Amino acid sequence: MFFLTYLRRELRRRMRQAIFIALGLAIGIGLVITVMGASAGVKAAQAKVLRALYGIGTDVTVTTKPKPPKGAQGSAPIASGPQNGQNGQNGQNGQNGSRAQACINGKCYTSGTIDTLDTGNYGPLSAATIARIAHLDHVSAAAGGLVLTDNRIVLPTGSNSRLVPPTSVSVNGTDITHPKLGPLSNAALAKGRTFTATDKDKNVAVVDSNYAAAHKLKVGGTVTLASKKFTIIGIVTQPQASSPPSVYIPLQRAQALASNPATGKAMTDQVNTVYVTAASASDIGAVQKEIAHLLPQATITSSSDLASEITGSAASAAKLAGALGKWLAVLVLIAAFAVASLLTMAAVARRVPEFGTLKALGWRSSRIVSQVLGESVGIGIIGGALGVGLGLAGVAIIDTIAPKLSASVPSAGGGAGPSTHVAGGPGGASIVSPAASHTTIAVPMSASVTVTAIVLAVLLAIAGGLVAGSFGGWRAARLRPAAALTRVA
Amino acid sequence: MDITHGTVPPAENSVYRLSNVSKIYRKGGREIPAVVDLDLDIKPGEWLAVQGKTGHGKTTLLQLLGGLDRPTKGCVEFGGSDLATATESDIRSVRASSFGFIFQTFNLIPTLTAAENAEAALIPLGINHANRRERVNIALDSVGLADRAQHLPAELSGGQQQRVAIARALVKEPNVLLADEPTGNLDEDTRDEIIALLDTLWRERGLTLILVTHDSAVARRAQRIGLMRNGRLTVRQDTRA
Repeated sequence: MFFLTYLRRELRRRMRQAIFIALGLAIGIGLVITVMGASAGVKAAQAKVLRALYGIGTDVTVTTKPKPPKGAQGSAPIASGPQNGQNGQNGQNGQNGSRAQACINGKCYTSGTIDTLDTGNYGPLSAATIARIAHLDHVSAAAGGLVLTDNRIVLPTGSNSRLVPPTSVSVNGTDITHPKLGPLSNAALAKGRTFTATDKDKNVAVVDSNYAAAHKLKVGGTVTLASKKFTIIGIVTQPQASSPPSVYIPLQRAQALASNPATGKAMTDQVNTVYVTAASASDIGAVQKEIAHLLPQATITSSSDLASEITGSAASAAKLAGALGKWLAVLVLIAAFAVASLLTMAAVARRVPEFGTLKALGWRSSRIVSQVLGESVGIGIIGGALGVGLGLAGVAIIDTIAPKLSASVPSAGGGAGPSTHVAGGPGGASIVSPAASHTTIAVPMSASVTVTAIVLAVLLAIAGGLVAGSFGGWRAARLRPAAALTRVA
Repeated sequence: MDITHGTVPPAENSVYRLSNVSKIYRKGGREIPAVVDLDLDIKPGEWLAVQGKTGHGKTTLLQLLGGLDRPTKGCVEFGGSDLATATESDIRSVRASSFGFIFQTFNLIPTLTAAENAEAALIPLGINHANRRERVNIALDSVGLADRAQHLPAELSGGQQQRVAIARALVKEPNVLLADEPTGNLDEDTRDEIIALLDTLWRERGLTLILVTHDSAVARRAQRIGLMRNGRLTVRQDTRA
């Protein structure tokens, strides 16, 4: 075909220039693919963190703020130090004969072990609320859970005993009838088994592998929560980047053992977090509105809201990829298009006598324009192919380097984890966060290339060729044959 | 020898009839007349040579005859159509089918072979590939370059390149051959070869040949010689025996 023969020969003749234009386009397109890949990688890293916290299928979480607790210090155990002036001692600390005491729900203890499951900063939601949420138009499924912290304080038994620092463990009361919702849904079973329907009222626990390793726990062993021994039936692993709960127990047992901070009673038929799956990704906004209408006081958090709560270099990388990377890619593309257009116009200027001759031979302007466009699109396709290669190389480099991003995320027990106020003892007054409200995690960044990104890149390359060819073609079309041939002379 | 100045009595069956044709270029507010009040009749099968100094309007006249430019005023009648007022599409169509151009600098497309250069003239006619190839082979054979069909212009001598240009002009079997200084870039021997070739083709094919040249030796081969001076044409009749 004459068109292709002419096109091929012209590209070969102007190979150096064609390669230069193609490389310019390739750099722009490679940058677009790399930025898109990096951006997708950062989002994937964020999603990995969030999935671990709230479950793979959770689109929205619903919580409420707690009502004012019963007693000034709430349900969290309050350990106070030497009873200065009350017991006539010198009031230095427990070592000097003063007695430490801990108060919970208005009741104070001066000795023994206090082991409670606390709901912390989340208020209770009734089981009926879960059912109402589940019946909303755009909701696919809803399940409740209890985000708890097991706080354990051992008070000194003798006047010379030292105050043992309190310990805390993040605990998740898991609705075992909804295995695809909640934090446990994202976990992989490493040993033993996970919950079955018959476990709902048993003292059995599934333990996170990191917690199990740190405390030398094994399947068949026990873990004590709220002064009850739970038999460990399984050990699970969560993605490396996550900050999962340490122990999962059946929701029904958690409800029986946890106490409502407002009433001081067990949380039977109550949860403090509802995990919701929307009917589709596009329905998440509608779900948020429906729940807000149903529960005006509730805090409704979507995955994107949670992503915005992530801070650290992961968030910075997301912003970098989303803003700077995007605009850098756009600028490079514009520059590449501009250079391609200018060089194509310059090439057309050099070929004026050639086009004048073709017009003298009776060629239509449209035929000459299509020839110029064809050459430019050909260069664009070569640039696109090179750009895809460069983009894949860029993504491979990111994957090889796998830079660690720090993600500061709200931890599983974090929102719920109350601060335990400890007064007295050798250290004096202090605040202990049983489970830090935010956890910083190192997230390895990996970029990925999607078919969409490649298709977009090829389309951009062709568009670049068309833009450049249009300018050149427009110039060629405007040539008057007599004027063009005069250039020869 | 008849010498006519200005108006030529209209012939019965002219291929060209130019009446009161002027072409004025405007440059920087100045008017530069290239062709002034020109009247000319050219009969089918005639060989007209146009001589004159550089800048006296020879090439402009050829461009007007070839439909490459339009006159500022006057009528350029070709085959019953006025090229001065015809649509661009009609003029392009006439150029594609009826006119063959030969240029001083050959104007071959450097990336295309001799055969492909000749084939380029057939593209606007919508002829199929096989037919194009056949006609190209005949045209190249007629100029003695059948064995150089696959050579690029850079691989050919100046004379061979001009032969390719002649083949390109003739491959579409035009009525009129318009040659602008076809031997201007050639040595004397090659010049004679090319002119001899044009003479042969003109005789064999009954072409109307309009040839612009500085060279009196070339012009003497024509039936009529026109002399352009300051845009005005003076034609001497029947120079050839």
